[in-house]
Amino acid sequence: MQGNARVSLPPGKYHIKEKERVMSKKIMVIDDDPAVVEYLTTLFEDNGYETCSAKDALEGIDIAKQEKPDLITLDLEMPGEWGPRFYRKLTEDPALKNIPVVVISGLSGHQYAINKAVASISKPFDRDELLRVVKENIL
Amino acid sequence: MAEDLLFIEPDENLSAALSVYIRRQQFDVRTAGTADAAHEHLKNHIPDVVLANPGLPDDEGTRFLLDFKSKHAEIPLILLTDPGNLESAMEVFGAKIDDYLQKPVKSIALDISLQHARQNLRLARKFSRYARQLEDLHEAHNLYHQLFDEVPCYISVQDRQFRLTATNRLFKRDFGNEVGDFCYKIYKHRDAPCPECPVAKTFEDGRRHQAEEVVTSRHGRQYNVMTWTAPIINEHGEISQVMEMATNITQVRRLQDHLTSLGLMLGSMSHGVKGMMTALDGGVYQLETGIRNGDAERIQHSYERIADTSSRIRKMVLDILYYAKSRGMQYQTTDAARLAKSLADAAGEMAGKQGVGFHTDIAADAGEFEVDPDWFYQAVLNFLENAVDACLMDPDKPQHRIDFTVVSQDADTVRLEIADNGIGMDEEARRKMFTLFFSSKGSKGTGLGMYIANHIIAQHGGGIEVDSVYGRGTRVKIRVPRHRTEAARAIDSLLDSNTGAENGKKGFH
Repeated sequence: MQGNARVSLPPGKYHIKEKERVMSKKIMVIDDDPAVVEYLTTLFEDNGYETCSAKDALEGIDIAKQEKPDLITLDLEMPGEWGPRFYRKLTEDPALKNIPVVVISGLSGHQYAINKAVASISKPFDRDELLRVVKENIL
Repeated sequence: MAEDLLFIEPDENLSAALSVYIRRQQFDVRTAGTADAAHEHLKNHIPDVVLANPGLPDDEGTRFLLDFKSKHAEIPLILLTDPGNLESAMEVFGAKIDDYLQKPVKSIALDISLQHARQNLRLARKFSRYARQLEDLHEAHNLYHQLFDEVPCYISVQDRQFRLTATNRLFKRDFGNEVGDFCYKIYKHRDAPCPECPVAKTFEDGRRHQAEEVVTSRHGRQYNVMTWTAPIINEHGEISQVMEMATNITQVRRLQDHLTSLGLMLGSMSHGVKGMMTALDGGVYQLETGIRNGDAERIQHSYERIADTSSRIRKMVLDILYYAKSRGMQYQTTDAARLAKSLADAAGEMAGKQGVGFHTDIAADAGEFEVDPDWFYQAVLNFLENAVDACLMDPDKPQHRIDFTVVSQDADTVRLEIADNGIGMDEEARRKMFTLFFSSKGSKGTGLGMYIANHIIAQHGGGIEVDSVYGRGTRVKIRVPRHRTEAARAIDSLLDSNTGAENGKKGFH
């Protein structure tokens, strides 16, 4: 359930055409709650994105290096390494520092935690708003 | 001040002549010639002095005067006898009479006699005034003493060495009877005076001082008290002692602490609540899209997701409710093995879903114990759930298992053990595990579960022992007395009187 394995849901029906899929962008979801990870990956996949995920920041750096996502959604309060520290590590890596980060968090006042994040969204979030923010910011 | 004098004399001429003389001596004089006339006077007014000739007509004089003296012993009575009657009068009246005169009366003898009467009268008045004042004083003293005793505060009077020289009833009840001991020893079990002592400040500057303190009673209870001090000044105008009055505000503080942590809890919990709402949104999204696309597999999955999330929300709400309103315990004699089996069923199912092995060893002869089945069940379930979570958080071991053991330790104690080979805790986490709002589970934890579990076990008079090694696993030993101790009962009745016992009750599964 946890880790970088993509959530096993029946593929196909929700995905856009094979031709476009080659071109599709990849979003990495970082959240310690597997239920939220599953929600976000399913939502993104249903809307034509590829996904990968990590359950904490430490894992997040390694997976980001492997998967080279086009956008990262980041929860701020997680065990192990806290969101802002993860963000600093990310920006220290030249290969990763240009990946846009969208903060999705239940912490109040989170918009101040990472000022370089391209957007901050509060849990629970509005699906359409999240998809719009992702679409606008994805490289 | 002129005194009233009643002059009883049958000889009218003598009466008139002597009256003039006596008036000159600053007496208001009234005269009576017979016993009947004297009676009439006494009906309206009791004189200060009586001057009387016992030789009244009809031989009434002796009886009348004896009667009068028996009713008004305090009123000076001077006898003025006819010539030759002095001795017989003395025989009749004896020492009951203040003075004796015989006709013909010499002016100097009458003067001295009247002066004596006046002096005696004044002394008697002074005496009775003093007696009355003494009585008032005594009453006031009693009243103040009663006030001192009955005031619903701890009152003590202390000397410069902080020795208690007087204490009131409430103080004696909670802190003992010993007068002469040191305040700091009795109140705080210290060996030296406290810093910032308000009594010391009052000795220094003669003003009232105020301080909030935490004191420990002779029964070991801690009370928050608000203390005021006041100087006691002796006749030389020096501060000889200081009175300290302490009001018990423990309940107010307890309520404040409760409200503070309630606020703190709502703050820290809102993050968890938001996370769960997001997870619930995810389930609903999958259900919605699954139905729209006729995807049975996705619908099934969404059902599991929603069920799981709603049970998490349920648990969190129950935790919050427990904390927000501490309900009184409802103890029942309960079969330990039966309770343990229902716990094992619930935890076993949870562990099974996550692929964690669950092994039980429940002694059929574990016996009975006196617990609140609902809350005790919830407390132990919290430990079992933590064991499952600890296994899920451990990435290293190929196989995880939980061992749940319930045995009769001895005639007085039931022992429950929960051992897992999950992630374990480091020293810091182990030390903090029962602290309110401490959680090692990220957004999954509220920091309430262990706090409440610990609280419940403590209320049952039980003890918890935790051994844990990070990366290896955790073993929790819970010992519960079969019968509640007197101390536990006392604490309980105290809590009940604070919160009011609540009756709503649900059966355990």
